[in-house]
Amino acid sequence: MKNQYYVTKYDVKADNAFALEDNIMVKDGLTTAGSKMLHNYISPIDATVVRKLLDKGMELAGKTKLDEFAVMGVSGDNNELSGVVGAVLDKTCRIALCNDVFGKVRRQAAENCLYYIRPTYGTVSRFGLVQTVSSMDQIGIVCGDLDEGIETLSVIAGHDENDSTTQGDGSLALNSKGPLKEGKYTIGIPVNVMNKTDEKSKEAIKELASKYHTEEFELEHFEVLSQVMYILSSAEIGNNTSRYDGVKFGYRSENYEGLKDLYTNSRTEGFGLNMKLTSIIGAMVLSSGNYEKFYLKAMKIRRQIKEQCDELFKGFDAIAMPLTLDSQDPYVNLALYALAPLCGLPSLSVPLGSNNGVQLISQAMNENVLFDICKGGR
Amino acid sequence: MDIKDLLQYEKMVKFDLPESEREWIIEQANMLEKSFEALSGIDTDKTEPLISPIEVQNPLREDVAHKTFSRDEILANSPEQYDGYFLVPKTIE
Amino acid sequence: MKYEVVMGLEVHVELATESKLFCSCSAKFGSEANENVCPSCSGMPGFVPALNKRAVELGIIAGLVTNCEITPRITFDKKNYFYPDLPTGHQNTQLYAPICRNGYVEIETESGKKKIRIKQIHLEEDAGKLVHDYRTDASLVDYNRASVPLIEIVSEPDFRSAEEVVAYLEKIQSLFTFADVSDCKMQEGSMRCDVNISVREAGSSELGTRTEMKNLNSFKAIARAIEYESERQITAVETGCEEIVQETRRWDDNIGESYAMRDKEDANDYRYFPNPDIMPVYISDEWIAEVKTTIPELAEEKYKRLTEEYGLSDYDSKLLTGSRKIADIFDGTLKYVDNPKEVANWILGDLSSIVNEDNKPFDEIDIDYEKLGKLIKMVEKKTVNRTIGKKILQEIYTNNVDPEEYAREHKLGMIADTGFLKDIVNKVINENEKSIIEYKEGNQKVVGFFMGKIMRETQGKADPNTVREILVEELDKYKI
Ligand SMILES: [Zn+2]
Repeated sequence: MKNQYYVTKYDVKADNAFALEDNIMVKDGLTTAGSKMLHNYISPIDATVVRKLLDKGMELAGKTKLDEFAVMGVSGDNNELSGVVGAVLDKTCRIALCNDVFGKVRRQAAENCLYYIRPTYGTVSRFGLVQTVSSMDQIGIVCGDLDEGIETLSVIAGHDENDSTTQGDGSLALNSKGPLKEGKYTIGIPVNVMNKTDEKSKEAIKELASKYHTEEFELEHFEVLSQVMYILSSAEIGNNTSRYDGVKFGYRSENYEGLKDLYTNSRTEGFGLNMKLTSIIGAMVLSSGNYEKFYLKAMKIRRQIKEQCDELFKGFDAIAMPLTLDSQDPYVNLALYALAPLCGLPSLSVPLGSNNGVQLISQAMNENVLFDICKGGR
Repeated sequence: MDIKDLLQYEKMVKFDLPESEREWIIEQANMLEKSFEALSGIDTDKTEPLISPIEVQNPLREDVAHKTFSRDEILANSPEQYDGYFLVPKTIE
Repeated sequence: MKYEVVMGLEVHVELATESKLFCSCSAKFGSEANENVCPSCSGMPGFVPALNKRAVELGIIAGLVTNCEITPRITFDKKNYFYPDLPTGHQNTQLYAPICRNGYVEIETESGKKKIRIKQIHLEEDAGKLVHDYRTDASLVDYNRASVPLIEIVSEPDFRSAEEVVAYLEKIQSLFTFADVSDCKMQEGSMRCDVNISVREAGSSELGTRTEMKNLNSFKAIARAIEYESERQITAVETGCEEIVQETRRWDDNIGESYAMRDKEDANDYRYFPNPDIMPVYISDEWIAEVKTTIPELAEEKYKRLTEEYGLSDYDSKLLTGSRKIADIFDGTLKYVDNPKEVANWILGDLSSIVNEDNKPFDEIDIDYEKLGKLIKMVEKKTVNRTIGKKILQEIYTNNVDPEEYAREHKLGMIADTGFLKDIVNKVINENEKSIIEYKEGNQKVVGFFMGKIMRETQGKADPNTVREILVEELDKYKI
């Protein structure tokens, strides 16, 4: 099938075409976020990123498939290729934008010799992005040519009056002209994480270590990163998706008598199983009796993790995280992808080794360093 | 989490799950809940919660009103509307 | 046994902002359904809230005029529940760091002055409106009010009578309307009140089980509902045949009874959590000081100015500062005539009676201050007399006429030509010789008789004082 990665595919010949995950809005077009709940939702606006790219003369190749509301399942098979990765791979577009909170795209991009740039939280407007985890949502870029990705970032980044959390300007994401640093970059390698990775990842990190000055360190709280990530994200997802109730837009069940039925049947029929689990866990961690134990606790650990990162970046220009562990369990692997979204840090997935790669994570607003490291290493 | 708990959460988030899904969700939830126990071992007594990774103060919006969308645009996606209103089954008071 | 009623109030007040709390939609009352709505305030995905600065400032002002401490760092929390009037499935409110805390207001009732403590004031967003439609037998949803900024003022359980409750609400209304925080109109829903009520034996320090009364739409309804509910509870305690349960009760003012409301939700767990999209707002002392300078004169200060600077009576000054509207008319008119006493007389006298006859609450009238001022000046300068002035006032009130133009067009100007008046006076005197004799004999009443005749001759357009002067002068000639 030619367009297996797309929900909507346009006939575009341009060599600068871009694709969007189907949770980014294009005015008057469908935005389903991969959910029956929004199967018929027509966007009233252009997302800021779309507006900016179209204004630059780029053309929209189409909208790609995604996990329902971009929420990756934590059990079962997760290996189906993401729409954005597939679309760039099959060259129907040069770059593709998506909101990779749970790491699937970060992993798959590198495994397929592509890059994924996940910018600092708040540098790219979320206006027109269907929200998943508000405190972690961040539009990023899948690209085959890193320079094209950097160029795209410089177009879409910057303050947007429609998103009060955006900060800075596009130049923060730009590739700097001169050398950013005298001497060598120092890259931190989390030794306790490395102990749990598979052979492929060890190989990739080894390759990195051969080119750079690396130092080992212990990443504290690694053993609870999945939990913290899951608790915080499920609560936010459950809340953000409670607007889908069959009243104002989107799917409404055909079978209902009263209001209660309308809600319950629309939501039960409209959401997939993974979203139901997420919402139930979201309700659980916020419910009275559990809030302090789970949600508040997770927010506090989130701060400790962020403070730890602030400390780490006093010594390191970047830290390298593997992309897979020696377990196939998606919930266990979530710990690898949690660090950047929990702390709002920029990360770059870099293909290295065979069908694998690493994520480089730097200090907030230091995308330049990641790009510089990556280019110098090639 | 047992079935009683699940039914309670279903009410909160407006689901009425089929039995087969309930079984799976309880199983998953218990697996997750068990993993969450690991958090209790971390000392957070002196830590403030982190709500958002950026904690800068953003400029607040000036209080200026302007109309950006017509009523028709707002109702365009509605499953049922009547006379400029969204329509829902009657709410019982 | 003597019982005591213990009450606490939760008052919701819609803030007088131009736009909503998180989007630029108009917050004005009275538009067509769903006309002031955008994707953001109707719950559509893809929008990030943008907090309204003025709403925060009005929250600060509300705290300052009620003697509260202002919280230096405020945050917003999401309160989760499903209801069709709540488009996003959650209400943004402040659970953990409300904008104001620990204040009080002073009320005055027949039993004297009393302080009512305020526990906190928090900012939140309003919900939309549901109307039952009989044609479709369904509910219709209008999101014009959805996300309009509100403050909720939570008092301590300091009330012991309906009289105190009403005095408190009137005080809040006065403070907030004079400070431009809100228009506090109960009939439009911009001020709403829930009463928490319990009873206990007089002298006891323990609180009884409380119920929450909702749907109280006027001061009268509040007083009735309190009376009903306290009696119901006292009877329950005395007879023991009904147990008081903690519940929300809805007041039906038509039948004069309250009944327990069915829970909106099956599961009453709001699952509050901090909203990560709204950054904490830091309220500095500098900001508070700056906001403080923008607070308009409050009723109490205005009262002082009226009594001390203008020398108006206590009674008049109280009336003139009794509501924001009347105070605005007074101050607005005073800009055009520098005569506080006259302005007060006109407003409390002639204007009030016209409004009374119109059967309208004073707060709903609309009158042009400049025109009213002009009229008062015309009377002062004797361009028209007071009787004619009153007629013109009626015209200003109903038809918004310009008093000068109106007087000119209707030839209502006062006759000030003393020569012309002298002729009329003498004409009238000559026609009533009998009365001159009476006058000579010392009957002063005759003056009034002549005055009436002369005023009739001049169709009321003569200045009575001038006429009286001329008349007495002419009559006195006969005395010799
Ligand atoms: Zn709006």
